[in-house]
Amino acid sequence: MSSADTTDTTTATATDEAREEIVAILTEELGEAVVGTHIHPGDDLWVRVTRDTWREAGIVARERLGFRAFEFLSAIDWLPSPFGKNEDSPTDAPPEPKTEIVTGYAGGDTRFQVFARVHSHSRKLGLTLKVDIPDDDLSIVTWLPVYAGVNWHEREVLEMFGITFVGHPYLLNLYLPGEFEGHPLRKDFPLLARHVKPWPGIVDVEPMPSDDGAAESEDVAE
Amino acid sequence: MGLVESGKMPKPLTSLLNTSRKYSLWIFQWGLACCAIEMGSALASPRYDVMRLGVIPLPASPRQADLVCISGTVTDKMVPAIRRLYEQMPDPKYVISMGSCANCGGPYWDSYSVTKGVDQVIPVDIYVPGCPPRPEALLEGIVLLQERIGKEDMAARWKGDPLVVS
Amino acid sequence: MTAISDRTKLAYANAQAADGRVNLEFETDDGMTLNMGPQHPATHGTLRIVVKLDGEQVVSCEPIMGYMHRGYEKLTEVRTYPQVTTLVNRIDWLGSFANEVPFILAAEKLMDIEAPPRAQWIRTILFELSRIANITLFVGDMALHIGAATAAFYAFRDREFVLNQIEAATGGRFHPNFNRIGGIKDDLPKGWIADTKASLDKIRNFCDEMETLVEGNEIFQARTRGIGVIPADVALAYGLTGANLRASGVDWDLRRDNPVGLAWDQVDWKVWTHPDGDSFSRFWVRLQEIREATKIVDQLLDALPPGPIMAKVPRIIKVPEGEAWVATENPLGEMGYYVVSKGDLGPFRVKIRTASFNNIAVVPWVARGVYLPDVVTILASLYFILGDIDR
Repeated sequence: MSSADTTDTTTATATDEAREEIVAILTEELGEAVVGTHIHPGDDLWVRVTRDTWREAGIVARERLGFRAFEFLSAIDWLPSPFGKNEDSPTDAPPEPKTEIVTGYAGGDTRFQVFARVHSHSRKLGLTLKVDIPDDDLSIVTWLPVYAGVNWHEREVLEMFGITFVGHPYLLNLYLPGEFEGHPLRKDFPLLARHVKPWPGIVDVEPMPSDDGAAESEDVAE
Repeated sequence: MGLVESGKMPKPLTSLLNTSRKYSLWIFQWGLACCAIEMGSALASPRYDVMRLGVIPLPASPRQADLVCISGTVTDKMVPAIRRLYEQMPDPKYVISMGSCANCGGPYWDSYSVTKGVDQVIPVDIYVPGCPPRPEALLEGIVLLQERIGKEDMAARWKGDPLVVS
Repeated sequence: MTAISDRTKLAYANAQAADGRVNLEFETDDGMTLNMGPQHPATHGTLRIVVKLDGEQVVSCEPIMGYMHRGYEKLTEVRTYPQVTTLVNRIDWLGSFANEVPFILAAEKLMDIEAPPRAQWIRTILFELSRIANITLFVGDMALHIGAATAAFYAFRDREFVLNQIEAATGGRFHPNFNRIGGIKDDLPKGWIADTKASLDKIRNFCDEMETLVEGNEIFQARTRGIGVIPADVALAYGLTGANLRASGVDWDLRRDNPVGLAWDQVDWKVWTHPDGDSFSRFWVRLQEIREATKIVDQLLDALPPGPIMAKVPRIIKVPEGEAWVATENPLGEMGYYVVSKGDLGPFRVKIRTASFNNIAVVPWVARGVYLPDVVTILASLYFILGDIDR
């Protein structure tokens, strides 16, 4: 498990004032709830908040910071897949499956994380908000009053991961038929067709164009 | 007609009826995914015109169609609808499975929600491979189907015997 | 905010419909329930809409998806990056080249590689060509749904020229699978530039024809003006993007505001917006975008830089650990990939943010109180592809 409190601004030479200002305002509004941030200068921004301030974080992002465009909301299951990635040759012994949960940018403590991305047209910046979901209580408050478009995204997360959203008017399956059992995007959900007939492994590697000297042919448009 | 069921149709009449059936197919285009666009190019585009083969697209409903062309990925959720629409078609009916998703699951062979081939649901006469098959490939599939219809034994279809293609 | 009114009856209907059951039986003492789809000529694919009607007016409507759900996000977890590129072509199956580009850019961002300029320019050219191929079909299709079938034939015919060019360069009419991490697969063939310019002329003719034939037609205008108005703040809250957003007056185009290394900032072009948010403005904005795309491709073809088409990448590509988000202005809207990598040959998790998913989320809001034929108009003007919604 990775550490809980990671505030990691990279050590590149450029500092990103616009993004650091956003982090500063978020910290000012939410205080202790901002438990992890990560800035790629000139590129992107990740912020992790605590579970009980998930909706306030959305409201702050939308009202105070002007992130009015909603991109998406989804979840990540950080458990490494117990079935491997089927990239190995079928004749070799299967590799040892990894079991350690390593989370990504802005840290994380739990196996499941819900993350959402919002965008600001005025600032021309995007923001990724993450929140940990504990294994024993897979639920979080809904973002529906903040962004109306999150309706279907939350339904999709429910059926794919099993995370319920408290306060959502009707949580029904979005994509899967009603009798479907299981939550497909969890890492311990197997793809049965691959177990019945395993993938033959990496067989073809296409040669790079520069290796064959194909770039020097005459049939190239100038 | 009693002649058809008992198999006593005279040869010229059989071949006449087969010829008239194969050149007057009404194709119900069941376009599901990307292959539907290639099917649309074959059926509705002036370049790969399917009407020159005697096959007319766009029937008003499946109850008026002879031929259904299932193009695109078949998901488990869609299967009841496919079954129902196939049953709505009157006999004699033919099925073309277009594209690798409809043939065998295609690039989504390992997905949890894709049916590995539409022939698990309805009987298929012609498989057109490709991802997506060119409109010319679909036209060739239709031509092959027409050849097959031309050699068909009408009594076998009436009695429900398995069709033997010579 | 959402127009979530009395949901109990509709929730029961949706529970039945979500099972994939074809029959919907329940007591409707007030109004009729109409089931459009999943096989329906007007739903652009396998979308099912359950519409509750009061006479001819829609009381509420609910789209039900999943009939084309192929499980992309799970499939990407067991494939390598080149295999995912092949698969990802098929999300938006009309403008396929445009689907690969944000994924490849995200992988290149994680690897900290930049494709050489010629590769970026050719990517932009093919991107815009796939935009033309996609939106010409939209224009023809929307006219078809309104009732003018001729425009659909024109669209299919003129689209063939662009598809020929894409095929000449990449080998596939759609699903080109042409991008590689670090560049593109092959260079352009001889004579391609002149042929493409000729086909662009034909597309410009098509646009002019559509303007006189369809856009100026008073029946078309009567059926689309004022129908399905989406104000700008609702559009932003639902996450609408692309021409739908620009038709509601929001001046936002990722090609200008976030060029991600492709060549749009090297050419001179314009972003089209329209102040009304109705179906006509969505049609109009997209028609202008086709013309604009032909202008962009013309300028790019004139000034294509020579050079290599592939950066130096190792033979077996393992993308380093990290997370990256890249979004581009695809023909349907904004498409983005959130790629989480753990240093393997394939990604750990890919979240595919597609434009049509958000575009259709607004249909229950927009289709309150309209007449039933207007539902078809609204769906046609919002323009979605089922593979884009269901992934």
